[in-house]
Formats: sequence, C-alpha cells, structure tokens
Amino acid sequence: MSVRLQMLVLDAAALESRVEQLLADGGRMQMAYAWRSAPDAIEVRYLAAPAAGQPFEVWCVRPVDDALPSLATRAPLLGWYEREMQDLHGLSFRGHPEPHPLVIDRSNGMPRAPLVLPEAVDPQAQWLGFGPVRADVMESGQFLFLYIGEAIVHYVPRLFLKHRGMEARFEGLSPTHGCVLAERVSGVGSVAHALAYCQAVEHAAGCEVPRRARQWRVLVAELERIYNHLHYFGALADATTLKVGQAEGRLLEERAKQLAGQLTGQRFMRNVLCPGGLRREMVVPPGWPEHLLALRKEVEGYLAQLERTTSYLDRLITTGVLPREVAFDQGATGPIERASGLDRDLRRDHPYAAYDELTVPVPLAESGDAHARAKVRAAELLASFDLLEILLPRLATGPCRVACEAPPGSFGLGWAETPRGSLYYAVHVGPDGALARVKVKSPSFSNWRAFPFTVHQTNMMDYAINEASFGLTIAGCDR
Amino acid sequence: MPLWTLRGLGQGKATTGWPKDPAAHGQQGTIGMPSVGADRCTEDCHRCADACPTQAITLDTRGHLETLDYGRCVNCQLCVETCPAGTLQPGSEWAFGVRDRVDLQWSLDPDPRPPEVRLASHIERSFRGSLHVRHVDAGSCNGCESELQALNNPFYNLHRLGIFFTASPRAADLLLVTGTVTTGMHEPLLAAWEAMPEPKRVLACGTCAVSGGVCGGTETSGHGLEGVLPVDVWLPGCPPNPAAIIEALLMLLERKPQRIHGGRVHER
Amino acid sequence: MSAEWMVLAASALWLLSLVLAVLGVGRRLVRVALALGCALVVLASAGRLPEGIACAPLGVGWAGSRLVLAPDALWLLAFGAVAAFFATALGSPGASWRSWSAGASLCLLGALGCFGLQDALGFLIAWELMSLGGAVLLVGEHLGPSREGRGLLFMLGLLEVGAVALMAALLWLSQRTGSVHFGEFAAQAWAAGSWPALGIGLLLLIGFGAKLGILPFYEWYPGAYGQGSGASGALLSGVVLNAAFFGLARGLTEWLPGQYALGVITVTVGVLSAILAVLYAFQEDDWRRLLAFSSAENAAIAITVLGASMIFRQEGLLALASLGYLVALLHLAGHALAKGCLMLAADGNYAASGHYDIRQQALLRHSRWYFGMGVVFAGMSLAAMPPQAGFVSEWFTFQTLFQGFHLTSLGGRLTLSLAGAGIALTAAVAFATFVKLVGLGVLGRRVREEGGAGSVRGGHAVACGLLGLGVLLLAVGMPWWLHGLDRVTAQLFPGQTSMALRSGALLVPLTSSFAFISPTKLVVALPLLALLPIGLLIGSVRRHRRLRVPVWYGGFARPAQGATTTLTFANAMRTFYAFVYRPRTTIDHEYSGRSYFVHRVEHRTTVAPLFEAKIFRVPVRVVQWLARAVSPLQSGHMNVYLGLVGLLLVLIMAVALF
Repeated sequence: MSVRLQMLVLDAAALESRVEQLLADGGRMQMAYAWRSAPDAIEVRYLAAPAAGQPFEVWCVRPVDDALPSLATRAPLLGWYEREMQDLHGLSFRGHPEPHPLVIDRSNGMPRAPLVLPEAVDPQAQWLGFGPVRADVMESGQFLFLYIGEAIVHYVPRLFLKHRGMEARFEGLSPTHGCVLAERVSGVGSVAHALAYCQAVEHAAGCEVPRRARQWRVLVAELERIYNHLHYFGALADATTLKVGQAEGRLLEERAKQLAGQLTGQRFMRNVLCPGGLRREMVVPPGWPEHLLALRKEVEGYLAQLERTTSYLDRLITTGVLPREVAFDQGATGPIERASGLDRDLRRDHPYAAYDELTVPVPLAESGDAHARAKVRAAELLASFDLLEILLPRLATGPCRVACEAPPGSFGLGWAETPRGSLYYAVHVGPDGALARVKVKSPSFSNWRAFPFTVHQTNMMDYAINEASFGLTIAGCDR
Repeated sequence: MPLWTLRGLGQGKATTGWPKDPAAHGQQGTIGMPSVGADRCTEDCHRCADACPTQAITLDTRGHLETLDYGRCVNCQLCVETCPAGTLQPGSEWAFGVRDRVDLQWSLDPDPRPPEVRLASHIERSFRGSLHVRHVDAGSCNGCESELQALNNPFYNLHRLGIFFTASPRAADLLLVTGTVTTGMHEPLLAAWEAMPEPKRVLACGTCAVSGGVCGGTETSGHGLEGVLPVDVWLPGCPPNPAAIIEALLMLLERKPQRIHGGRVHER
Repeated sequence: MSAEWMVLAASALWLLSLVLAVLGVGRRLVRVALALGCALVVLASAGRLPEGIACAPLGVGWAGSRLVLAPDALWLLAFGAVAAFFATALGSPGASWRSWSAGASLCLLGALGCFGLQDALGFLIAWELMSLGGAVLLVGEHLGPSREGRGLLFMLGLLEVGAVALMAALLWLSQRTGSVHFGEFAAQAWAAGSWPALGIGLLLLIGFGAKLGILPFYEWYPGAYGQGSGASGALLSGVVLNAAFFGLARGLTEWLPGQYALGVITVTVGVLSAILAVLYAFQEDDWRRLLAFSSAENAAIAITVLGASMIFRQEGLLALASLGYLVALLHLAGHALAKGCLMLAADGNYAASGHYDIRQQALLRHSRWYFGMGVVFAGMSLAAMPPQAGFVSEWFTFQTLFQGFHLTSLGGRLTLSLAGAGIALTAAVAFATFVKLVGLGVLGRRVREEGGAGSVRGGHAVACGLLGLGVLLLAVGMPWWLHGLDRVTAQLFPGQTSMALRSGALLVPLTSSFAFISPTKLVVALPLLALLPIGLLIGSVRRHRRLRVPVWYGGFARPAQGATTTLTFANAMRTFYAFVYRPRTTIDHEYSGRSYFVHRVEHRTTVAPLFEAKIFRVPVRVVQWLARAVSPLQSGHMNVYLGLVGLLLVLIMAVALF
C-alpha cells in the first residue's frame, strides 16, 4: 500500500483563501498541529482532505512572530486545534473567537485550563456542575448545565482534566517504545492507535508491510470494532434502562474480549503490532472461528430484539439531533457523522492495511438522532463480522514482518478508522532516529466538539441517553 | 418488557464459578506478567533493561538481571521477546495484587522462606461480606475503566461477592483509583478521599496508579498514588483483567490470601 | 380617658397628620401622630372589645351620622391597627414622605369610617377616601422596577369598578328600604331565593371583592404592591383589607341573611380566588408581590368560610353559621399580624440590601435574633403550621367546611366538600410558598461577590419580632381572646356564643368529640418533646468524633450561580400547572463570529396572568379606541376650545328653555 499524500508549503497570508477554496470544492480540514524542527523554528501543519478520491494534503506554514490568522470562523473545527497550539506551543491566532485556554494554562501555578463559561444573563437560572467524579465507573470530566428544572438552556463540557501530555511523552522514545505508548493513548482503541502509529512510521521509513501482516492487522482491528460496538450497545441499553439488554450487551462484549485474549494473548489485543508488521508469529487457535460464528448469531439476535423494543426506540428517536451542517462544520467523524448523512469512511476512501482487497460497506443514516447513530453502529457491527468471515479463510502465508528503520528527519502520516471515527498519527523522526514529535488526532477530540450542539435547549432526561448514543472516550480526547 | 425477561431467563446462568472454581477465570489464552526463571543471563547483556519502556528492570554490575519491579511493568512483552538467554519467559500469572509495595519487586536473592503474614491492621468485620467502592479516574487511558465496568457484567457479576460501586464517596468504604493522577484530577481525587467517612481504604488499580506506567512523568501527569494517598492494595497490570481485580478485592477483604511475595508466587 | 374619646382623639391625630403632610411641615410629628393614633385605637379596643364602642353623634356633615364600632368591627380594626402602628412608626423608605403620610392618614381615616359609619352616604365617602389613600400612599414611593405608574392606574381602575358596583348595591338597598341607614337595611326582610337579594349580594361581592382581591380583581395586586414599600403593604393588607372584609361580612350576613344561592356563589368565588391567588403567589420572586397575592388568598379563604356560614344559616344551623363567621374573623386577625410582620421584614430586607428580591443572602444569620424569630413565626402562621394563629384559623376553616354533612341539601354538601378540597390545595401551595419565602429570602447562603448585603436591625427587626410574637400569643391565648367575640355571635346569630369554640384550654369546633387542637398546650409540649433529640445529639457529639468536610459536588466546588433560586424552586409547579400559568420562555444568544461560538446566553421566562387577556384587555382596547376617537377634541387650538364652550352654552340654553 502506498501512502498518497501531497505536501504543500504555504504562506501565512494565503491560508484563509486556501481554506475557503477547499471548502468551496467540497473538501474538509482534518487537523492542525505545531512542531519545532529546531529550538527557534516552529512550523504549523494543516491536514486537509479534499473531495473524495483525492489524496490528503499537508500544508506547512511558518508563523510570523509566533502568530497566524485564525481560521476558526471559516472552518470551525480548527478552533480547538488552534487553542491547543496556543496552550502547548505559545502561538497566537489572530481573530480567534474563543481565545481562552483549552488544554492547560501554564500561567497559573497548577497547569489546568480555567473554566470559562458564557455569561448567563438571568440570575434565576442555575449552573449545575456534574463531575468530574461522576456517579458510575466512568471517566473524569466535568459537565456544566445552565438549567431550569428539566430544561437545559446551555451546556458546557469541561474536558482535559485527564490531559496526560501523551504527545510530549512520545518525544525521545524509540519507535518500538512509541508503539507501546501509542497503544495506551486510548485503552479501548489500542489496536487502532497502534495501527495508525505503525503506518505513520512505515510511511516515514518507506517500507512495505507483508500481506499476511496487513491481513492480521485488519483482523484485530475489526475484532476491536466488534467489542467496542457491543460495549456501546450495553451502555445504550443501560441509559435507556433496559436492564437485561444492558446485561446481555456487556456479556457479549466480554465474550468478544475473551475471544480477543485467546487469539492474541491480550484482551485488548496489545503487543501484536509493531512498525514493519506483527511482533511475532500469530496463529488462529483451533475452534476459534466457530466461537466467533456463535458470537455472531447471539449478536444478531440481540440487535434484532433491541430494534423491536419500543421503550428503547422511543427514547432514541429524535433525541440529540445533530444536524448535518453542524456535523460537517464541527468535524464530527465516524458513526456519528455517518448518522447525520456525511458519507466518509477511511477504510473505503483512503484504504490502509488490507482494506484495499475488501469491500467495506458504509452504512448511512439521515436523521442524525440517537437512533440513527445506534442503527449505523449496528450495521457496522454486523459488517465487521462479515469482514472477519471473509478474511479468516484467506489469510496469506509468508513473513509477518519486515525491517523498518525510519531515517532521521523523516515524516510519516498514518491513519485508521477506529470504532469512533477517523484517527490520524503524524510522526516526525528526530536526527538521532528517535521520535521528535508525534501528533495524535483522535476521533473523540473531534466528536466532543460537536456534542454540545445536540444538548443545548434539550432536557435533562435525554442527556444521559444522548451522551451514551455518542459513545465517546475522554482519554482519547484529552490524551 | 416480558420479552426481555424471558430472553434473559432463557439464556441461563452466565456467571463464572470463579473464584471458587480456580480454572473458570475466563482468561484462557492470555499472557501474564513476565516470569523470571533461573539466572541464565549472558555477560554484559542489557537488552531487557533497554527494551523496557518503564525502566522496570535493573541490572547488576555483571549486566545480569538484578531486580524486576512488577509495579512498573505494563506487560508489553518486549523484555521477553528480546531476552536471548531465557531468563525472562512469558508468564501465566496476572493476579498481582499485594498489600506492600515492596512485594511487587522481584530481586535475585529473596528470602527463601515465604514470609509470615501478620497484618498490621485487619479489615473491619462488617466489610468482609459487603464492601462499597468509589472509583475515581485520575487520568487513565480508559483501559482500566473498561475492565472495571466489566466487573458488573453477567460473567464476573461482582454483586454476588457483596461488592458494589457507589455513586457518592459518602457511602464508600474503598477508594479505587486508576490513572497517574494528572494535575487536573489531583484536587478532585483528594476531595473524594476527604469526603469519605472513616474507616476508609485505597486500592491502586493498574500500573499507572501504582507507579505512573508509561504515561507518567510529563508536565501534567503524576507518578501514581505513591505519596498522594495511603494505599492499602497495589494492583499492577495494563490493564489488570477483571479476574485479577476481583482477586485483589477479595485479598483486601481477607477472603483470599496474598499470593505474591517478593515478586514471586507463593501458593498456600 | 374613655374608649370613645380615644377613638375620636385617634381620628383627630390622623387628620392633623394629613394636614401637616399636605403642608409639608413637621415630618417627625406626622409620624408620631399617625403611630399614636393607631396606638390609641388598639388601647381603646383592648379595653372595650366585648361590647364595642359607640360614639356620640358628631354633628358635622349630615345629621344622624355616628361612629358605632361593633365588636367584630373593633376586633378587625384593632388587629389592623397593630400592624399599622408599626408600619407608620417605621415609615416608608420610598421617595416622598409627604405623599406617603397623607396617604396613610387617608387610609386610616377611611378605614375607621368604613368600620364605624352607619349610613350609606358616609360609608361610600369613607370607602372612596380609603381607596384614594391607598393610591396616594403608593404614588410617591417609586420603588417599582420602572417609574411608570401603570400598576397604580390599573388598581384605581378596578377599584372604581368595585366602587360603582358598591354604589349600585347601596342605592338599590336604600331604594328598597327607603332609608340610607344600615339599621334599616338590617331590618329588611328578604324572601328566601329572591332575585333582588341575589343581585344586591352579587353587587356587594363585586364591590368589596375588588378591594379584597377575588377573581379577577386580584390582578391589580402585584402591580400596585410592587410599586410601593412594605410599610404600604402592611397598611393595605392589614387595616384596609380588614375594613373591606368587614363591609362584605356585614352586608352578606346582616343585610341579606338566608340566601342560599348567594352563599354557594360566595363559597365558589372564594375557593377559586384562593387557589389562583396562591398559585400566582408561588411564582413570584419579589417580597411585596408574593405577599400581595398571599393577602388575596387569605381574604379569599375568609370569604369562603363566610359563604359557608351563609349556607348554614339558610338551613337554620345557627351554631355552625356562627362558627363560620367567627373563623373568618380569627383568620383575618392572624393574617393582619403575620402579613404586617412579613411586609416590614421586606422593608428590613430593603434597608439591608437595597432590593426587594427574594434571594439567598443569609439575612437571618446576620440580623438580630428577634428578627428571625418574627419572620419564622409569621411565615409559619401564613403556611398554617402549628402552633401559630394561621394554623388555628385554617384548622377551624376545615372543621367548618367538613361539618357540611350536617346540611340536608345535596348542593350545599357538595359545595362545601369541594370547597374543602380546594382549600386543602390552597393550603398546600401556601405552605410551599412560605417555605420558599422564608427559605430563600431569609435563610440560605450569602454569595461573597455580592458583598454589602447587611443585616436587619433597629426598628424593623423589633417590629418583626414583636409582630411575630404577637402571632404566637394570639394562637396560644386563643381560648381567652375568644371572650372578645362573645357579643358578635349574640347579635348576629341569636342564641349563639363564641365560647362554643373552646373547651377549657382546647379549641373545638362546637363539640370536643369531633376534633380539637390546643396551641396553648402545644407551646408547652413541643419544647419538651424537643428535649429528646437534643439529648441524643449532645450524647452523640460527646461520643463520636466529628469530621467537618466540604459539601461533595463531584470533586470541585459548586459553580458560581449554582444556588437554588426562586425560579428553580417554583419551576416544577410552573410546569405542572402550565395550563394556568401558560409560561413563556425566550432564549437569546450572542455570538463571536459564527453561531458556534456563544459567549452570552440570555434567558427569560414569565408567567401570564389568567384574566388579563380574557377580561381586561378588551375593555382596555375599547377605552383606547374611544380615547383615540375623542382625541381630536384635544387639538390645542384656542378657537376649537372657544367653539366647544360656545356649543356647551347653546346646549345649556336649550335645556333651560325646553
């Protein structure tokens, strides 16, 4: 698989018009990040996805006096990336509509971004702060509601309390250790993160991964999609108070994880991938495909039963509608954007691993409500089983690994379609062969930005269901 | 709803017999923490120490493996894969919950006798059959949360052991912490600890909470619970699987004996 | 000094203060005169309550006018005067003392006249003086959200509707009886179910009801009260409300006895007014407006039990009829004290913090202890909590309504049962309303950023403390205060006595086998019962170590603007009763750049008054249309006016010649 990428060097002054041109042609911005090629030389890179079928574009821009024009009013999804660059690299973006810190604020003693709420002009309305320690076994994040009784007037999520500085942690590591770290950026997306990272390093090294390794990569990636989607349905049934539905969803997820453990030796399928292919020779245990088929039958029955339960459907239909325009502008990705009518899937549009020899069905929905998101995920879940069934009998023989040395000063871009959406890794290798800069754009970072627009002016009862229907992680967003 | 109820009943019992049935833990096929065999190290080979991403391995002057701190081990298997001599082997043990941090440190010359277990303080009788746990995520990768959420699925079914997760620290006996303690979550974690009534205990779940793991030591990420809270049980693993978490909880409740001493497994 | 001279001296003092206020001299003297007058009235009634006071004819104005204060009039006047004493002694924080003092003296004089004058002409003049006094009281205060006087005009408009109805009723009665004296009105015999009696009764109900705040007339309350101070409110809800009720009670009981349909209508109107008034009270977030609606509600409860008394009378159950009448009097007595206390507490809040909003300020903790005691007692009384006076009268109200099973007619029984249910709903919502007022207005937590909110001390704290204590004493000593009403029942309901309401230290609804309460004994028993938990608490504090930790909000402190507000407290009811309130919510955003970047959220929610659209808007539109049609007359040209004068002269000539 050859990575198709177009590198462009742009002037700071040409940015705005370039973005407008991209949007007018039907393309979309994907991410932006800054990196220091030298202690006093900083460069900002923008990743743009032009219309379907064309390769990615990487725009390299040098800030003038550590400042660049803000593109947030043209491409709102860039707003968070610009704020992140402000916080972590000290750049400033002229004309940014929300210039307050997003990730951390180094100016006060304990680096943590301060809470900035919109001014609420009504002394009678109340702000409720929910979290960061929430009621169940959940990740930490604080959610602020401006509410009156049941009605939510405004909603502000306060994330980045879990910011571990993972991108900084990558710096100085060897590419092998980088893989170990990448698996732990988002624990339930270990395979996808390792995959994107390895592909980035392989792109930088210019090496070709053997077919067997690429097929195994698809195998574990789809298995990860299966257990993540089953977890999602368990959580959705829990939010809609379907007790047996929740128990069954969680039990099926457990069975999937146990299958993963039997296949790879680790329930989250860690320690399988490395730059260049697989870490060791992998073998499908005897009887494993039959167990997978049995699981598939149970999953089909479970999903069918869910679709027949009126109380569950009642709570999902018209809940948390994400309009298509908002999804596009805010950069929503994965099943969430597909449920709002945006037809994008990295496996089909920019195939990687062994996806070029498979046809990946991309389910789509138009209504953008919680039910649409659940339906899209259900279709993806069954499609994953189909892909595994197709792939298992035709696993190639041959080597599972090639040597992969990324030359000093090289750059690589890798991506993967995770269960939550598109994931990008941009890897810069330093002069000593160790990692100099790794940028992680996780799908949850994009989707959390879109989520508040489905909560404003809805009600409290729907909030938990809506949040469960998005199915995001905070670790992936905060990194 | 009768449809769902009948469906659930029709599927029978899915709960495992573990821990009563020692073989039914559900982790068949998974690789445990690396086990250290006989000292077969070659001279001046420091491949395992170099391979370890968390510096869990120290070598002696001959370049032989001297100590392996399981509290820092993320079970990445790099040391096992790179060891040419066979000192480090893939292990089958994944339940590494201990009361003292030093018990996670394997060293070359241990005390040959398993130490006598004399506990400084016993857990209150009232907790043995019923424990309420408040979980706080202090900056994890979500892997530990995934395994903790699995504790209440029909397979593990934590409720049958009398252990429950509560919504409020006011009603909790045990504070179960995952993550490295980021600067953002430092204050809420301490607030949760302060909010718990006495007697209260702490369980550090996952290598990140025990020692910071691979994520620790950055500008915003701490080194786990050491020095932050008084920890009663240390449970490494990345992440520890639900069976290991159950075993650690039962050990805290003195319903199961501690199996790991000095980094070695001692069956009683 | 005899009681008659005291009353006359009081009216002289009020007249003096009126003159001085108009002239604009002697501010302190005016205050002293007003307060002293009220004090004299209280003293006079304390001495002479059972018998009443009859003053000699004054000899001024029309012949034969005398001031005769019947015992029930004296009872209501006395309690109103207690509240008025404190109100006039403290004065108003509003802009102009002259207009306030003038208004207060007019109110008091008018009220005295309404209570005491025995002929229709004098009564109407006194009634109009009282209304005028109320308007003058409010006009100079400018304590509303804007300086416009629309609320005041609305009040005057509706009061004039009432005045017209009242005039019509009195004219009709005088035409029937051939005299303007109330004694003749009382002597007139009416056939049961006669239409003229019903018509007169309805006109009286509308006339007095406009001031009492029955539906739809309660809608002027918030606008008018919300423009004034607590002292004005204490006057309007105390002595003025009592005067209006006395007029209605005398009219319906003395002049039109034995009218069944009128009784049923009175009960219905009373119950519905009470329910609506208290529902709207619950949604208010301003001290004065909430208390204004509460006054309307309490007046409506008194009207309900008055109507029950009329129904009992029609069937000849005189004992129950007298019970009902007495209960109304007890209710308004307690109400005057408690409402006066809370209105003055509102003024105290204003003095401490500069606004009349119900907002968490921890006022009680920072003020004198007797202020808190007074406010809590008064709030308990209006929420009908034992052992306060409000509980006593509310309990008696229910006992009166429950004894509807003594009636033989199905309609009567049904009316009283439904009335009981309605009053029960009212009592529940009133309880919630006063929990809201006391809990949010006086308790709660002070937000540091607001700064400056001081404490209530000095005169306001003393006044609230004394009035609150008065409420408690009224309840505790009720078996003895009932002596004062003995003659009332004797005059109106032959053969009945107010002593039937007590049995030793217990209060009973005519018979102790049905039910009984005893605030007298409760006041002793409740503190004794409290000893047990206090003992346990002390024991626990000694034995266990206490851990003081901040409230758990999820790890961080509670966000600013996170405290309960009046709207969030009342919102559940607003949603449940949306068919009454018809709430309207508007949300506006301010963006930076695109609509995704919100930096300001404006949120407003209001409730709609029930009758404004249906009843009041149409006449207002008609009047506006008429005004527009007639406005060409105000052309401002001298010649047009001269032309009009000429036209008028021609008309006069025509009338004179033909």
